[in-house]
Amino acid sequence: MKTEQDVIFAMGRHASTAITAAVQTLGGDNQMNCAEFQRDLPLIIDSGGTEQQEEHLRNCEVCRDLVSDLRYIADQAKLLVPMLEPSPKVWDGIEERLKLEGLVKPTHVRRSL
Amino acid sequence: MAIRKPVGPVEEGQTLQTASVAAPQLASEPIGVAKRAFVTAPRKMMASGISEAEAIDRAKQGDGECFESLYGMHKRRVYSLCLRMTSNTAEAEDLTQEAFLQLYRKIATFRGESAFSTWLHRLAVNVVLMHLRKKGLPEVSLQETLEPAEEDGPKKDIGAQDQVLAGSIDRVNLERAIESLPPGYRIIFVLHDIEGYEHNEIAEMMGCSIGNSKSQLHKARMKLRDLLKFTRAERAATKR
Repeated sequence: MKTEQDVIFAMGRHASTAITAAVQTLGGDNQMNCAEFQRDLPLIIDSGGTEQQEEHLRNCEVCRDLVSDLRYIADQAKLLVPMLEPSPKVWDGIEERLKLEGLVKPTHVRRSL
Repeated sequence: MAIRKPVGPVEEGQTLQTASVAAPQLASEPIGVAKRAFVTAPRKMMASGISEAEAIDRAKQGDGECFESLYGMHKRRVYSLCLRMTSNTAEAEDLTQEAFLQLYRKIATFRGESAFSTWLHRLAVNVVLMHLRKKGLPEVSLQETLEPAEEDGPKKDIGAQDQVLAGSIDRVNLERAIESLPPGYRIIFVLHDIEGYEHNEIAEMMGCSIGNSKSQLHKARMKLRDLLKFTRAERAATKR
């Protein structure tokens, strides 16, 4: 028959095991897991990470590819140039409105073309 | 006014005149874009043979032809901004028109403290955002936090590795993917990653928190990653 002391001891052991497991799951021993890393990714991606985050990045291919992709998308977006031209009717509309509102004064500039 | 169809710049040379007096930035002016403008902006010459600075001065006096030349020089960038933010050609054209009408009315208030293009694009962004507010489109959810939503969050249990995107995106596919983003994501992505605005500037323009802007941008890039990978997989399947 278990004494009160045995029960308390068993409970303590269970609690200790549970805490150890939780610490490992959450990346104890200073080890960061993917979930933790990706949770902070919006901040890491543009301004760089902490030493711990950088270490995770070095050791985790999944997160490394993710960061590489997101930075690549941002870099490609910067290269997008304004290629498209509005249709001539946009200028026609502006001209019409300016005339209607009487905003345009007579021209003083002689064009060279 | 004797108006011909607008034309763009015909010659490019040294540093933009207006940029030389633009060193002290106003808090309300987009620093990121200004930086980009300083690096790349040459001394712009209009088709009429006058400089952009001169055209601005004359347009301030109400000179229609100089205003027309300014339109010719900046119409592509303003239109592209409007089109990327709305993903709708008709709306983008209306908004481009509205932005230049506002430019004509407000050009006298341009004091040269930032590059003209920086000032004009901020004006255009405000026109688009005002339009979206009137339409009642949610730009950014104010309830957003940095905690990613489940469906938008990063995949935590990615199994088989697939190739990274590097080298596989072309401009057309990226433009298409941006077009198909939800409006809230798309607007922040366009403003930050394409137009070069900083998060604090976006937060100010959109009336949201900086964290919110960062969160939306991250979700936009994640969504784009999915869309681009999907497009790549589709292309590969078609080739087989």
